[in-house]
Amino acid sequence: MDVRDKMNGIFREVFNDDTIQIKPETTANDIEGWDSFSHVTLITAIEIRFNIKFSIKEFMSFKSVGDLIRCIERKVVV
Amino acid sequence: MENLIKNNQYNIGHICTRLQCEIGNADKISMRWITPDMQHVDYSFNDLEDQSNKCANVLQSLSLSKGDIMFTLLPKIPEQFFVLLGALKLQLIVSPLFANFGEEAILDRMGDACAKVLVTKKSFLRKIEKIKNHLFHLKYVIVVDSESDLPSDVLSYPALIKNAKSVFETPLTGKDTPSLLHYTSGSTGKPKGVLHVHGGIITINQTTKEILGLKENDKYWCTADQGWVTGTSYGMIGPWSLGITQIHFSGQYSPGIWFTILEKEKINVWYTAPTALRMLMKEDSALFKKFNLKELRHICSVGEPLNPEVINWSRKILAKETYDTWFMTETGAIMIANRLGIDVKPGSMGKPIEGMEVAILTDKGELAQSNQRGILCLKAGWESMFVTYLNNEEAYKQKFKDGYYYSGDVAFMDKEGYYWFAGRKDDVINTAGHLVGPFEVESALLEIEEVEEVAVIGASDEILYEKIVAFIKLKSGNIYNKELELKIQVHIANKVSTIAVPQDIVVVEGIPKTRSGKIMRRVLKAQYLGQDAGDLSTMEEF
Repeated sequence: MDVRDKMNGIFREVFNDDTIQIKPETTANDIEGWDSFSHVTLITAIEIRFNIKFSIKEFMSFKSVGDLIRCIERKVVV
Repeated sequence: MENLIKNNQYNIGHICTRLQCEIGNADKISMRWITPDMQHVDYSFNDLEDQSNKCANVLQSLSLSKGDIMFTLLPKIPEQFFVLLGALKLQLIVSPLFANFGEEAILDRMGDACAKVLVTKKSFLRKIEKIKNHLFHLKYVIVVDSESDLPSDVLSYPALIKNAKSVFETPLTGKDTPSLLHYTSGSTGKPKGVLHVHGGIITINQTTKEILGLKENDKYWCTADQGWVTGTSYGMIGPWSLGITQIHFSGQYSPGIWFTILEKEKINVWYTAPTALRMLMKEDSALFKKFNLKELRHICSVGEPLNPEVINWSRKILAKETYDTWFMTETGAIMIANRLGIDVKPGSMGKPIEGMEVAILTDKGELAQSNQRGILCLKAGWESMFVTYLNNEEAYKQKFKDGYYYSGDVAFMDKEGYYWFAGRKDDVINTAGHLVGPFEVESALLEIEEVEEVAVIGASDEILYEKIVAFIKLKSGNIYNKELELKIQVHIANKVSTIAVPQDIVVVEGIPKTRSGKIMRRVLKAQYLGQDAGDLSTMEEF
């Protein structure tokens, strides 16, 4: 399972919606319920599932799913 | 007032649309709706009139009538406004829900109100399907984003309005006719339905002029969602009753985008929340130098106390004054505010609006001295005052004593007549301007199989004003780990609301309670904040 597939599962879990299909260009405006509060839950879920940690700067910088995937891929490779 | 109420017609829907057309605003832009990708669509007052009339005709054709209760579960899209105004014209009671509410929060509110109709969008149907069987009075579910009806008796709004007439004669509506229903959280029990009446438009209109300082040709932006009282009072009724052009943006918080809107749309008055302003304060000040805000006269703020730091930041970085305003769901309109024309005392709530009698009363019901803390009370009888808690007249009566409405806020008045907020008398948590009842969160936490006992408190927070802290006792054999933390977060977000998710979870051996079983939140709060817990004589041992 690649990062995007795994991420898709996390999005479905966090936002309780089995129809979500994320793309790199997906932003908070495309997912119902993705607000600044649920963003924290989403990041927690990603950190747990990928066993990584984001810095505060990274946390604040994510504007799209693509940003998240690129950051995760860098950390997973390292 | 003379331009607002004609022939005793107090109907909010009528005043915000038809009346505006009659007094020469028909072609004026009522709303510029900006999409998340920054496209925009303009709607004139005539468009508002036509669209709301079509909605009123559709709802009437479904045999809905005066006093029936309609909910909306919609993001900030034009249909939200068309439907709310249309239903108000028909004299339905309307209750817009915050779109990020989870299914239990929706069920609590719609169930209590015996809702007959819900207007929503397709993507929210998954929440509704889970609770529909418990909504015994719900006759119609209507979606705004499907061209045709859907299975399970879901009606298409576009199909319904396709052939609807754009003419509707709004019935003469008295000032005491029920209008809006907003649910508010208390420290115990389920949220209570705060019922307002059409006559409330008088106070809302007055304060929009006198406190927000809106002028005829202004462009105005209120960032509040229509699921909260600010979103209806000042994101719909106030400005439109004055024929003022509003900007509505349906995207999320984003500093660059928000300031682009302020500059590009030449916003004159901006009404937003302290949490948003505090988040903006965290940004590099170089960001704000890129924007020309010469049209912006001032900023108004509502939801939580406005820290002096925010006022100083906006003076220094934006060269704008920010005025704090205070009101609550029950008051329907601003009651106390800093504003143009009085010296702003940073950190204070300001002074009462014209004609409002405010008093700080002690526990004995006596008038407090200057600088002495007491309960902030309002002399009952203002036009936008709520008229009951739906199905809970007893709780409503308890809010009034000797002709005063007891707000539950603890405050004091200084010698110059400025009011200062000091906290809440009850356990309600104000997080990012939203009131969250501990009971709602505790009830949802108890649904998690690993959890045996819970207690929820609010603790001060630099950004949110208060954050939600949950204390949990796990059932024997369970271990707290990151997976369980995530499970809790996801559960609360989907059952209650994203705003109700605890920011901190503390695992404890037991929850302190009185001998009669009441959770002693003040003990937990003191322990969490490292303060003295005070008298523990009534606490049961655990």
